[in-house]
Amino acid sequence: MANLVIDNVKKRYGETEILKGINISIKTGEFLILVGPSGCGKSTLMNSIAGLEDVSEGRILIADKDVTYTSPKDRDIAMVFQSYALYPNMTVEQNISFGLEMRKVPKEERDVEVQRVAELLQISHLLDRKPAQLSGGQRQRVAMGRALARRPQLYLFDEPLSNLDAKLRVEMRTEIKKLHKKLGTTIVYVTHDQIEAMTLADRIAVMKDGQVQQLGTPQEIYDNPANLFVAGFMGSPAMNFIPANVVEQNGTPMLELATSTTVALPFPKPESLKDYVGKTVLLGLRPEMITEPQPHKEGQPFVTTTDIEVEVTEPMGADTMILTRVNDAEINCRSNPMYPAAAGSIIKMMFDTSKAVVFDQESGKRLDV
Amino acid sequence: MSNKAVGRKTSGLDKALRVALYTVLLVVAAFYLMPFIVMLLTSLKDVEEIRTGTLLSLPATLNFESWSKAWSSACTGGSCGGISPYFMNSFQIVLPAVAISTLVGALNGYVISLWKFRGSDFFFAAMLVGCFIPFQVILLPMAQTLGWLGIANTTSGLVFVHVVYGIAFTTLFFRNFYQSIPGELVKAARLDGAGFFTIFYRIILPVSTPIIVVTVIWQFTQIWNDFLFGVAFSGFDTQPVTVALNNLVNTSFGGKEYNVDMAAAIIAALPTLAVYVFAGKYFVRGLTAGAVKG
Repeated sequence: MANLVIDNVKKRYGETEILKGINISIKTGEFLILVGPSGCGKSTLMNSIAGLEDVSEGRILIADKDVTYTSPKDRDIAMVFQSYALYPNMTVEQNISFGLEMRKVPKEERDVEVQRVAELLQISHLLDRKPAQLSGGQRQRVAMGRALARRPQLYLFDEPLSNLDAKLRVEMRTEIKKLHKKLGTTIVYVTHDQIEAMTLADRIAVMKDGQVQQLGTPQEIYDNPANLFVAGFMGSPAMNFIPANVVEQNGTPMLELATSTTVALPFPKPESLKDYVGKTVLLGLRPEMITEPQPHKEGQPFVTTTDIEVEVTEPMGADTMILTRVNDAEINCRSNPMYPAAAGSIIKMMFDTSKAVVFDQESGKRLDV
Repeated sequence: MSNKAVGRKTSGLDKALRVALYTVLLVVAAFYLMPFIVMLLTSLKDVEEIRTGTLLSLPATLNFESWSKAWSSACTGGSCGGISPYFMNSFQIVLPAVAISTLVGALNGYVISLWKFRGSDFFFAAMLVGCFIPFQVILLPMAQTLGWLGIANTTSGLVFVHVVYGIAFTTLFFRNFYQSIPGELVKAARLDGAGFFTIFYRIILPVSTPIIVVTVIWQFTQIWNDFLFGVAFSGFDTQPVTVALNNLVNTSFGGKEYNVDMAAAIIAALPTLAVYVFAGKYFVRGLTAGAVKG
């Protein structure tokens, strides 16, 4: 196990810059998730860490050793691939021990290691099978077993769960989390699934266009998105973005909201809106901050109750999503399923702006920092 | 029993059509087999019978004399040792040529598909052109080359010619097959610590059986049946069986011994026949596998 430092890494293919100076440093035993839309460069970054692709500029350090120009096999890294990449001609046992064999580990030690890994992942009964005889979930386990067997310094997971069906994916997600807790390994994990990112990561790096948009704990990223992109990418359903006019009331900038009536919402950091009075900003408000009126929150600062017109409701069991229109933007509200909200009716909803964020409409830059 | 219950009824017309279909098929099959049957029958008759009987008349007795003569004592040009030495020549040319061209093709395909480098697509395209070069075009330059290399008129020379000419095809076969192998397999093996040749030998080759069979059959048939390169580049002692067969048929003292000619021709065709019988099934399977995924 080791730490990993990615120092100003750039990657160019001819004129196109895929990675535009990535700086990430990961502590020993940390679980880092790279997340972002397809084409954001996360897989390229992963391949660069593994040494499967050369970087054009910058350095990569594993365990404080510069490995930028070291070949993949000497970096002491194991990788789990999206397609699992199991060797089709070998049994599960041979698949797991292949890496050890290549490193000239004696047969007895290999057998011991295979047994250990197989027990850990509960695949002991599959050791004699070929990959073609395994189900998707079993293949996934074998692929992880192959990575674990070598006890490398660093594990790379490249969208390992995206080929599994929804139920199995949730199961394996938990399993990976448990495994990480148990083994305390350093992991870099690529995914485009933001729920996976939220649930697994110690820290998340949100990437877009070859740049890290934000690097932080899942809660930081969720509560304090650095910009409009991060705010919109993390969270499901996504954060509501409401174009709102900044108006001044009693010397304090407020955000104007037009539903069936017009109200002005208070904002925790009014001073950041000073320069925007009379202009329009984007108010970011997560769905769970717009709820049915809750008595215990009544009277708290930054809580405003107003009327909205229900467009559609989407019952999800635990909550019901209410779609409505505010300032001409469609927004999602999360309410108690018991709260009466018929489509077309006008109901009271409570807007809690204590965790609201505001962005510049053009640049998408966060204003209240 | 339950199958019968759901079986559809066959009307008289259906039956008649079926009979007609099989009749047509049998006639066509017989038509295609005819030359071989005539060869076989003729080879079993003696010269007298051939002269008096018709093409299709059966031999009075099974007479294998012409076979042994064709094998060991018929005259081809100047020498009178049958075609057996040339038969062996052919094996000496075909076996190494097939082995080398298949191996090189496999390596080429492996590199072009799984170790792409700058210009590898162009390299492959250039290689493909080789599939469309007619034999005749390379005769003179190849003769020149063989002379420079000092292997003109030798078995090694012929092996060289067939390897060079065959690589375009074998590369194409293997490249198409390897296109269907995910690149992540190679990446995984590299991280596991395997090198270029280890990956090829331990991971790629073991899954290549279908395409190896296809390539071996293709190359074996091509090289065994080749006449032009054989006649152009072989020496007196290194002629392949196809050339010897030609010489045998064209060498006659007195009357033409059709029975010996036919026997020799069948002997010359036996190895390719055997290859098809034993591996034909894989051939079709492998060809489609390569074609569909390529």
